[in-house]
Amino acid sequence: MAGENQEPNDRGEDPAANGDVRLSVPAAPEYLRLVRLTAAGLASRLGFTFDEVEDLRIAVDELCFHLLGDGDDTPSDRPRTMDLTYAAGADYISITGSTGMSGAVPEPSELSEQILDALVDEHEVTGNGGVVTFRLKKQRES
Amino acid sequence: MAFEATDRHELRSKLEEYAATGDKALRDEIVGSQVGLAEYLARRFKNRGEPIEDLIQVALLGLLKAVERFDPSRGLEFSTFATPTIVGELKRHFRDKGWAVRVPRRVQELHLRMGTVVNTLSQELGRSPTIPEIARRAEVSVDEVLEAMEAGRAYRFSSIDAPATEDEDRGPNPATAQLGEDDTGLEEVEQRMLLSPLIASLPKREQMIIHLRFFRGMTQSEIASRLGISQMHVSRLLARSLAQLRDRAGAEAAPG
Repeated sequence: MAGENQEPNDRGEDPAANGDVRLSVPAAPEYLRLVRLTAAGLASRLGFTFDEVEDLRIAVDELCFHLLGDGDDTPSDRPRTMDLTYAAGADYISITGSTGMSGAVPEPSELSEQILDALVDEHEVTGNGGVVTFRLKKQRES
Repeated sequence: MAFEATDRHELRSKLEEYAATGDKALRDEIVGSQVGLAEYLARRFKNRGEPIEDLIQVALLGLLKAVERFDPSRGLEFSTFATPTIVGELKRHFRDKGWAVRVPRRVQELHLRMGTVVNTLSQELGRSPTIPEIARRAEVSVDEVLEAMEAGRAYRFSSIDAPATEDEDRGPNPATAQLGEDDTGLEEVEQRMLLSPLIASLPKREQMIIHLRFFRGMTQSEIASRLGISQMHVSRLLARSLAQLRDRAGAEAAPG
């Protein structure tokens, strides 16, 4: 099968892949690109396939959306930064993101839950003392 | 684009009937008969970094608007009236919803080329390719592939099918249903989607993709081959649909 015939580094034999990556960006939609790009970059180092990288990007995007807050916030209410930590395991990637938010913790919709269930292995959004945090984990298929 | 006189006459009487009755089935039939005009105009805008499939969708939207706004009593030819409407829609697409982030031309080109590369590799390998595999085949770096994947998301999504929000009771956009992705699963999808008015506000094909990906658990590549479109296109449509769902969920949650 052609699929078995790969060079080692296609499937993540990358010694440098096992460090955490931290990213702190303004909590604004314009910066989601960086957040996704970082996720995609790490996942590709771990040998994730195109499909898996796409799923991861959509999932990160979906979860970050909960950190952005709704557009009706007054500027002073708006969270200033999102802090993301990307952790790479041998065959998985986990991402946590958090931000300060004065209002109530956004409740993920049923649809959003359904979408995330299909995309990643684990996901949750929690709120604690004015800080909203999401966590996700995605495993590589093989 | 030359119409036979009889065709023109038939079109005119249909338009008159639609103007009088507002019969949506008739409207869809008229749109269906004029798809060629929309496609012709969409092609005039190709090679500007936007995939032709997307442009055709935009043009169909313009066509739909033209059918709805056309006033037969003014004596204009329909094509005379529809052309500026469709072209206007296409121009607006580039102005408002085009590459919202400046994407360098070579990245746009790679993004478009990657559609083929990913499809070919998926078939050869029998699975979704890894990013290094794509990079090697496309003869670019891994970083360039990642940039190009991101470029598919460089649209401003919010109102690509604005008519659905302008006119909520219109339901799914019938224009996009003309694109030929008829599928036996579609009716079943419709059934399920009735559960979610939000999803029902998306064009039919997008509903289908959302359903297959998130409710059936099919991968993007599987969806691409099932619908006969490129995986990159599935990826773009998914991203765009999700952004629209969010916008609308937000709009519904807003007071008033």
